[in-house]
Amino acid sequence: MEDRTSDGVKSEEISESFICCVCLDLLYKPIVLCCGHVSCFWCVHKSMNGLRESHCPICRNSYNHFPTICQMLHFLLQKMYPIAYKARELQVLEEEKENDCFSPQLDAHAHNLQADQDLENPACKESSATMKQLDSISHISDNGTTVPEQGTNGNPEATGIAIDIDKNFPQNQHSGNCKQISVADVLCAACKQMLFCPVVLNCGHVYCESCAIGIAGEMLKCQVCQSPQPKGLPKVCLELGNFLEEQFPKEYALRRDAVRLKEVDSNRGWQTNGSTEGGKQADILAWWSDPHSKVHMNAGCDSCGMYPIIGDRYRCTDCVEKIGFDLCGDCYNTRSKLPGRFNQQHTPEHKFELVPSNMIRNIMLRLVTGPIDDGSTLLITADGSENLEDLSSPPSLSGVTEENVENSLAIPATSGDGAEEHQDDSQTTEYLN
Amino acid sequence: MIDFARVQKELQECSRDVEKSGIKVSPKSDGSLARLIGTIPGPVGTPYEGGTFQIDISLPDGYPFEPPKMQFATKVWHPNISSQSGAICLDILKDQWSPALTLKTALLSVQALLSAPQPDDPQDAVVAQQYLRDYQTFVGTARYWTESFAKISSLGVEEKVQKLVEMGFPEAQVRSTLEVVGGDENLALEKLCSS
Repeated sequence: MEDRTSDGVKSEEISESFICCVCLDLLYKPIVLCCGHVSCFWCVHKSMNGLRESHCPICRNSYNHFPTICQMLHFLLQKMYPIAYKARELQVLEEEKENDCFSPQLDAHAHNLQADQDLENPACKESSATMKQLDSISHISDNGTTVPEQGTNGNPEATGIAIDIDKNFPQNQHSGNCKQISVADVLCAACKQMLFCPVVLNCGHVYCESCAIGIAGEMLKCQVCQSPQPKGLPKVCLELGNFLEEQFPKEYALRRDAVRLKEVDSNRGWQTNGSTEGGKQADILAWWSDPHSKVHMNAGCDSCGMYPIIGDRYRCTDCVEKIGFDLCGDCYNTRSKLPGRFNQQHTPEHKFELVPSNMIRNIMLRLVTGPIDDGSTLLITADGSENLEDLSSPPSLSGVTEENVENSLAIPATSGDGAEEHQDDSQTTEYLN
Repeated sequence: MIDFARVQKELQECSRDVEKSGIKVSPKSDGSLARLIGTIPGPVGTPYEGGTFQIDISLPDGYPFEPPKMQFATKVWHPNISSQSGAICLDILKDQWSPALTLKTALLSVQALLSAPQPDDPQDAVVAQQYLRDYQTFVGTARYWTESFAKISSLGVEEKVQKLVEMGFPEAQVRSTLEVVGGDENLALEKLCSS
């Protein structure tokens, strides 16, 4: 659109594909869920359920891990709609300051230099490239542009970031047209060719569906950052796929032919199973019905994104950010060195403490929030025995009153950390920490 | 905190195709976007046909991550809507809410509920009993309630007719047009002008 209005945002015609289904605005720091649907970082975070599995706002597919921002899509949008994207950035930054809780800062420069290395996940390889990345991260911190706790005085930081980003992407005269993006912006992390049927892993890296199947093996692991994929092969991100087909029809057709050829060669025994996997479902049921399972309400793992954390939870005792820094047992044991999901200034030298889950509170919450939607309803009483309740009846309060009274009496008797957790609970806005 | 930017967008989107869907959402008189009034036309081919139903909407602080609270302001005879309070029994307004739904899509679902009652999961037991045991009486009562409560009051209609007739439109055409648009005089005027 060559609309020369004074209001720059209006001059960018934003494709329907890139409107977030939750905020109905241009996607900002997009996250692709394992069902292939896209939403903004904060929109996904706010839609998640701190007590049990979360569901995609569009298709209700269940998931347990908060995915990392899809950097490729982020920089693609930034390139296509520089003005509108910048407006969104400022708007979101304003909200973040209000809540004192920040989304990760993405460095376009680092992304461009090392397209195959994820800035956010420097943990994997002990290569010099990784060192460079770490340098660049700490460098940003030194500038103070991305350090939230220094941002109390507001505006200087905002403009600091603004200038930073202005330098990093080419300012074009014709804002908002898609012609400036090239195939180089939409490459598969594995085959380095243009994406065909793109799938986005939990870590935010994008692969062709065929390439992801190729590397799947027993357990799908991202080739770039080595993060394991929690729930099998994700579904194709159709919005991105259709956009690519529209944008690069010839190249896309070529890629289709190439992939088809390869498919004929290989055995075709695979199938996409991004959604419900038997094993995972059983897992969820297990924690729900097991009175001894440790569920950490409203606490998420900063490494793999599991939310809520089920099992052991380790909390960083040195991170000062309001949102905190937590790891699940697995990520703690594998000594994950990924940076936080919320721009925490966490370093590997920080100490952790094991957080006990408050079992009684868990049981109460289960009773209050009712059974999960599928299967038989198991109500767990305080002493660990199970009452099989009538399927058709809603989480009947009458049958539960007794335990409720018991639990509410028991709460003050729990130890110091129980009281502390209770306090956490009273905050209305809970964040993944 | 309610996402007012989104509510604003929803209102714009809704007013854009009000002609097609017949669904209207407008803020209540106090101007706050947290309290709104939705209007849906009764679905054709049901006892609610020809009625215009108003629904009180109030947005919780967590909107759109929590469902909007909706309640019929117009009295309606339906198994899943309380004949006393107007409370609606609809899963997407409760645990099946998703932030990708909007006020418009929620109102469309309410409209669909009018065409497809679920007497096995009733809100109003009396109505549900009647629906299951004596369907003809149910239809009669529902139609009577539509006539009595969901039609724009006859006095109001006469005033609107008079107003539009004074503008120079033939009375018969004014009446039929008003009926088509559900009694909204502005819509009727638009239609009359374009026809």
